[in-house]
Amino acid sequence: MDNKIWIVAKREYLERVRSRTFLAFTLLIPVFIAGVTMFPLYIAAKSGASTAIRHITILDATGTDLGDRVAKALMTDSTIARIPNDSVTPRVVKTTAAGLPASEQAAENEVKLPNHITGYLVLTDSTLDGKSARYSGRNASTIGDMDKLRSLVRQEVMVSRLEREGVRKDIVNDLATSNFRLTSQRLSESGRGGSGQAGIFAGISVGLLLFMSIVFHGQNVLRGVLEEKSTRVAEVVISSIKPESLLAGKVLGVGGVGLTQQAAWFAISAYLMNFLGPIILKAATKGTVVATTATSGTSAANAALGASFGGMALSIVAVSLLFFVIGFVFYASLYAAAGSMVNSEQEAQQAAMPVMLLLMSTWLMVNPVLINPNSKLALVLTWLPWSSPIMVPLRMGLTTVSPVVIAGSALVAVIGCIASIWLSARIYRVGMLMYGKKPSFAEVAKWIRYA
Amino acid sequence: MSDLAIDIRNVVKRYDHHVAVRDLSLQIPRGSVYGLLGPNGAGKTTTIRMILDIILPDAGSISIFGRPNTEPGILNAVGYLPEERGLYKKMQVRRVLLFLAELKGIRPADASKRIDEWLERFSLVGERNWGDARVDELSRGMQQKVQFISTLLHDPDLVILDEPFSGLDPINAQALKDAVLELKQRGKTVIFSTHVMDNAEKMCDSVCIIARGEKVLDGGVAAVKKSAGARNVALSLAGGAHNGVSQLLRDPSFVRRCDDNNNYFELELYPNADAQLFLRKLIEAGANIERFELVQPSLHQIFLQRVGASGVETGMSGHG
Repeated sequence: MDNKIWIVAKREYLERVRSRTFLAFTLLIPVFIAGVTMFPLYIAAKSGASTAIRHITILDATGTDLGDRVAKALMTDSTIARIPNDSVTPRVVKTTAAGLPASEQAAENEVKLPNHITGYLVLTDSTLDGKSARYSGRNASTIGDMDKLRSLVRQEVMVSRLEREGVRKDIVNDLATSNFRLTSQRLSESGRGGSGQAGIFAGISVGLLLFMSIVFHGQNVLRGVLEEKSTRVAEVVISSIKPESLLAGKVLGVGGVGLTQQAAWFAISAYLMNFLGPIILKAATKGTVVATTATSGTSAANAALGASFGGMALSIVAVSLLFFVIGFVFYASLYAAAGSMVNSEQEAQQAAMPVMLLLMSTWLMVNPVLINPNSKLALVLTWLPWSSPIMVPLRMGLTTVSPVVIAGSALVAVIGCIASIWLSARIYRVGMLMYGKKPSFAEVAKWIRYA
Repeated sequence: MSDLAIDIRNVVKRYDHHVAVRDLSLQIPRGSVYGLLGPNGAGKTTTIRMILDIILPDAGSISIFGRPNTEPGILNAVGYLPEERGLYKKMQVRRVLLFLAELKGIRPADASKRIDEWLERFSLVGERNWGDARVDELSRGMQQKVQFISTLLHDPDLVILDEPFSGLDPINAQALKDAVLELKQRGKTVIFSTHVMDNAEKMCDSVCIIARGEKVLDGGVAAVKKSAGARNVALSLAGGAHNGVSQLLRDPSFVRRCDDNNNYFELELYPNADAQLFLRKLIEAGANIERFELVQPSLHQIFLQRVGASGVETGMSGHG
């Protein structure tokens, strides 16, 4: 390989990696990603039941032990956050339907006192029938607290009724606390794949990642070419190196920056989610989180991460990387040609339109392919050099793509790449030294013939 | 090794509706200072770009030091200062220079040492070391110095300067002239294009005048001037030319062409016109003569004579 390509690539790489913009993007994007992933967890943790629902009075007018059962459940439920050394427990007041108004009045007065109980729960015959219970208190509009209270009361009503019907106590307990989950697994001709959910997630994230980086770094190539042209440094450089080599070095250097950035993003996001996740969750609940909650928070963070990356087979990662390189070279050289045709950022956006349209047309096909990854459309898109870099990794996440098809499509894409480089180099050679008005497409066609 | 720095043979470059360079052949001797003269649009820059293999000729061949200019590495012996100058604005001066030197095949460690020497020589190190500054922090004059350093940093045997004097103030222009002469003394070949004939006449060993893509004439400056004949008169008049004198300066029986600079005139006489009779007539007409001298025509005159006013647009062949 031409040694000068390497010199150009080195300059492109180092100048970009040294810039403040690169540093900012590299650090801020993962923080953003982590934030977006962690925020729902934070909200979930925050909206979980708080320790306040233990500081209540239960007015039990049922004549049964339902009040005591609810009090006990409130104390033992592990998903309710707990403040250390908190000795306050729910107080149960046995009363009758007739005495209820007076007890309610007393409880209400207590709620109004500072640093006293949060509210009071009224259990009546209607509660025993499994219909309703009443709660009044300062935290009545806290969704997490009310949900927890409702489910606990409902659970205890069910348990007590089942016991009354003669069902064994341990069976009742088992049913009441069972945590039912549905797991799904993908089946294909070649056997069991990863989890179905993870497949779709992986497919979309890989597709999106490839699309975004091609657009982002492709635009960077365009801007770099434009800078060389508008500062007129291009002519000095081209007097030392062939335009084709300059183009190749540029694409390589910027592509290297892209790979570096993605590696950094992945590493930083993973770090943030794994190590900072629990800390953020802790902060969310303003206190010590019960061990199980912390674990579930971390595992939720890991699951979010795992769904996008972990669920992916190694083969998908390898193929994605290969197609990123091919797709990037294909589009970046076209972007470079677009940049060489024009003299300003505004014109550049116009000149880059055809390239953008090609990319967008591929992106718009992602949805149909997601719905049916084995349709005719999906098969065609697998073989077109401008869509295969996104479609092949996407389909691999969704269905089974035979290695022969992958290799064939990669070959076609490489041929497409060579054509795109050839075309771009010819436009670039002439365009880099053309100043003045933006050329028409007829003129560009002539450049291709001149060079 | 060849005695010729550049050998251009029958080179043609056509564009869509016009021919930029038409069957051009040029031999530029090694170790000379060579002027490529012509009005804008004559094909000078196209020719230079073809020498540098930036654009490809449609026909003909170009060799540098006896080897085809398409041979890998041959352009490492060439330093080029384009007419349109520029550097990477956001880059550190030192890194730009290092990059351009590396592209010319200089090892980074060598390049680094040379950069220090050159920065010193062009007084770009002092209270502040401008080598560590970003290009866009430099003044225009300093940027031109850096650009000039980038042309010479790899110690090329052939230096090509395209319109080097455009945009230079008198001090930098003088510095450039000194640098060109120093290069010549060190045995380097310097080619520069210009439309400023005075500079070419003072500095060049040989010149070539091209117009409309064709060679009009070439050769050593002395030979070119000699072949143009000694039929010119350098005339200085105190207070300029008044009515009668002014008429006489346009008298078609004596004067073929008059270059009127108000107080100074360069006249081309017809071959059969009598210079002594013309002088007498001037005195009779009341001219206040400070100088009347038969001279060889200046390059400027030869240029106007050979290219013709039609080949020169207004303001493109000034005396500057």
